Amino acid sequence: MMRMLAIAAVLTAAADAHAAVLAAGPAVCWQMQKHGQDKQATACFTQLAQSNDAYARAEGAWGLEDYTGANEQFRIATQPAASSALYKVRWGMLLHERFNDAEAADLFHEALVKDPNSAQSYIGLASVSAEEFSSKAEEYLAKAEELDPKLAQPHEMSAEIALVNDNRERAATEADKALALESDAMDAMAVRAALELLADKPADAWFAKISATNPHPGKAYMQLAHQLELHYRFTDAAEYYRKAAEAQPRLWAAHSAYGVELMRLGETETPARELELAYNNGYKSPATVNSLRLLDSLKTFDVTKTDNTLIKIDKKENDLLLPYMQAELNTIIATYSKKYGMTLPGPVQLEVYPNHEDFAVRTMGMPGLGALGVTFGEVVAMDSPSGRKPGDFNWGATLWHEMSHVFVITATNQRVPRWFTEGLAVHEEGQRSAEWEDRVTPDVLIAIREKKLLPLDKLDRGFVQQEYPNQVLVSYFQGGAICDYIAGKWGEGKLLDMVHSYATKKTTVEAIQANLGMSTEEFDKQFLAWIDTKYGAEAKHFEEWRTQLKALAAASQAKQYDEVIAKAADVIKLYPYTGEANAYEILATVQRMQNDTKGERESLTQYMHNGGSQPGLLKRLAELQEQAGDPAEAVATLTKVLYIYPVNDTELHQRLGRLLLAQKNYTGAIREYGAVVAMNPLDKAGAEFNLAEGYMAAGERDKAQEAVLLSLEAAPDYKPAQKLLLQLQAH
Amino acid sequence: MLRIERSQRSQRIRSVALAFSLMVCTAMHATAATYVVTVAGLGGEPDYDQRFTGNAKDLDKIFKDAGSSAHSYALYGDAATAESLKKTLATIAQQATATDDFVLILIGHGSFDGTEYKFNLVGPDLTAAEIAALCDRIPARRQLIVDTTSSSGGAAAAFERSGRAIIAATKSGTEKNATVFARYWVESLQDPAADVDKNGAVTAMEAFTYATKKTSAFYDSQKRLATEHAVFNDIGHGEPVREAGNGQGQLLSTLTLVRYGGTQSVANDPAKQVLIAKKEELEQRIDTLKYGKAAMDPSEYRQKLTAALLELARVQAELDK
Repeated sequence: MMRMLAIAAVLTAAADAHAAVLAAGPAVCWQMQKHGQDKQATACFTQLAQSNDAYARAEGAWGLEDYTGANEQFRIATQPAASSALYKVRWGMLLHERFNDAEAADLFHEALVKDPNSAQSYIGLASVSAEEFSSKAEEYLAKAEELDPKLAQPHEMSAEIALVNDNRERAATEADKALALESDAMDAMAVRAALELLADKPADAWFAKISATNPHPGKAYMQLAHQLELHYRFTDAAEYYRKAAEAQPRLWAAHSAYGVELMRLGETETPARELELAYNNGYKSPATVNSLRLLDSLKTFDVTKTDNTLIKIDKKENDLLLPYMQAELNTIIATYSKKYGMTLPGPVQLEVYPNHEDFAVRTMGMPGLGALGVTFGEVVAMDSPSGRKPGDFNWGATLWHEMSHVFVITATNQRVPRWFTEGLAVHEEGQRSAEWEDRVTPDVLIAIREKKLLPLDKLDRGFVQQEYPNQVLVSYFQGGAICDYIAGKWGEGKLLDMVHSYATKKTTVEAIQANLGMSTEEFDKQFLAWIDTKYGAEAKHFEEWRTQLKALAAASQAKQYDEVIAKAADVIKLYPYTGEANAYEILATVQRMQNDTKGERESLTQYMHNGGSQPGLLKRLAELQEQAGDPAEAVATLTKVLYIYPVNDTELHQRLGRLLLAQKNYTGAIREYGAVVAMNPLDKAGAEFNLAEGYMAAGERDKAQEAVLLSLEAAPDYKPAQKLLLQLQAH
Repeated sequence: MLRIERSQRSQRIRSVALAFSLMVCTAMHATAATYVVTVAGLGGEPDYDQRFTGNAKDLDKIFKDAGSSAHSYALYGDAATAESLKKTLATIAQQATATDDFVLILIGHGSFDGTEYKFNLVGPDLTAAEIAALCDRIPARRQLIVDTTSSSGGAAAAFERSGRAIIAATKSGTEKNATVFARYWVESLQDPAADVDKNGAVTAMEAFTYATKKTSAFYDSQKRLATEHAVFNDIGHGEPVREAGNGQGQLLSTLTLVRYGGTQSVANDPAKQVLIAKKEELEQRIDTLKYGKAAMDPSEYRQKLTAALLELARVQAELDK
């Protein structure tokens, strides 16, 4: 009897708790979770999951990490036409959390149709937009704040976005606003802590508040780590991701982020373990899945180590690319070490991806372009030239750019603003070769014309959230142009002084004042005047150029060749554009048809000097240079093609090898003929024979014999190879 | 100089037994002629018309430059009609003998409706079955049809016949996009690099391999999904294949399409017969060594191969004196 009573009492108590949970709503359970009351939260969500109400069941299942069940219950809850808009918002937030932003955004929009005053819907839309670094996020947050001024969340998110944009003042203000509204606004605390750490100040007070709110603050550590990584503090970011996973072992997102961050720092074993842990526990975010795939891909890479480099290239193109990349990397390290007066603390790791999708995994979750190469501390990842269409990409320029980051980030102990490290890297490309300078593209001209260049102290924002299409590209150009301007007016040494200023934790305003003796406002004035002198006319006549280029293309199409020849120079004078469908190419094509080889050579030479990079046109120029009796120029031109598209083109290497051999540059000839062999060509016998000739000319008889035997193994009756073999045997 | 004739010394195939059979075969056809018909079908657009006609003209020139044993016919532009093609093939059917070779190269667009392939011509098209029937009337025992059009894989079954090798630019009739194979087929007959065994001649097999590799590289470099996958069949039945093996590739390897320079004069010099026999013995020894490479100790293989290659080089030097 006693036992029956006890059971009844338990059941009654349970029924009361159940009723209480339902009455208070899911927010109570989430609040428990937020405060680290895990057991209570689990019990609370369990109660919800047993509810008769589909929406409550959805929240319960979500809290218990039964995402499929939650999704199903949300589907049921939102079916009635009169169901609350909130259900759709919450369903959208679930999908956002589970990596489905497209459908999440749809649900937020649907919720807004039901309730145009739903602040939570705007917060949802802001969450999705912030993930993509879209400037729409701030618009949505402003709307949410307007609709419900008592909500802390819009301010928390605004604070995070402001810090991503390195608008530290606003980040602090918004975080404080959130905390004033909700004293337990953990994300706001995390932003505050991040601000301290980014300023190299102790954040203990904020950590104490965070811990007081939640003794297992994994999510707060993750927020912090994310901000650190977006400010190039990769090592610190990894440490905070580790702390997040340690504080909250079941926070699988933290394990995944920790794995990804360590991969960026060049590790493979711990990342594999952490990522697999996340994946096996259902955290199958794109970053997790793709990073695991990438780790698999890396197993097929050859690894070449020297004292100060470690190069990973896919097996299928390692033999071809390694000689070029190793030599260039050595040159870069020597050049920058001298220029920056420093030695890197460890080897530089270079990863070269033939599959662009693999490379893209490296840049997931990072703002900006990340389209060609990316640097994390001493790890550089970039596309292989084979991962791009011919002419789209100059791997040499990319490597010089990324390696500049390696030195600057190291020299400043990861304390450098985005605009400066990007600007200096762009500047360094132009220092290596005038033809690699960042060209003023149509987007840049329009930005100059419409006065959209940002003030220097706000330039960092142009690299993250775009206010207009291609603003990131414009910002890269502007950063590079600023460094060009400083170097031109005050000398290269001033750029190095700026590096030192950032190393001592100066801000841009302070660095400009200390090194150039002026305010950033004054600097902006002078810089914009310089830009106007340099590009003002091109910007002003941009539309005229566009019209004339169209007319030129039409004249060429209509076979009005005299018209093309008469007008092309004027079009080029207006704007020396070398992108697709440029005036140089149109003119050179007409000159070729008219057998005007001198004119064609001149047009293509101009094209090359102005940054033209189509391998086909450059190879044609080399042909013309050779025909004109200038093999040295032809060699120089073909060498430029090596930096653009050295893959899938045996003819390029054969031609260059032949020219170099004729010039008695045996080392170069051997390198080029070796490249042909490395491409596993159809004509293996011919390729090995050429290589043998190179070795023979260089006096390396053993290697010559090795190569000639390989040639004859492929084609035993190959007479030139037979003769060379006999010649080698005769001595 | 380029010539069209059967190879006197075929591209060597790893099997020694096969090499023997090829030598017999080629010796029989040493003085035969080759008839080549190249057709550039309807382009439909100026760009295609220009490209197809250009390819056909290039091929015609290559074959006409090849010498008196080659009879080249090219139909393009308004002349590329079913009627003209029928007449041309009928003429060849009257002139050619069983020991001659016959090559038909189709360039342009093709279509396939699931059962029937059609080659697009000016005016009425011709089906694969109709083209095959026209070729059947030609007495040449060794024939080659190179169909470089879109959907050409859909023609393979209708073209197949004993003694006839076929090459199609696409693996099936469902690969319907315009192809680039023809461009590289033409290039294979102009680029000495296609002659991988360096015997001074490009066989149909070498040309196929060259064009296939170049086609694949084209799509790679353009970052486009390949929409054509060339295939061949030279055993007269069954599915076309992409690589030689299991009997496939023997006929293509003996059909020489172009030859660089004269290489056969020594073969007729009785004073050098001993050296020729020695050379062939060495070539077979090298083939055998290469065939067994995987099972041999690497240093032993290298030593024996070096010795054989060196001896072969010396014999060749004697022959060239």
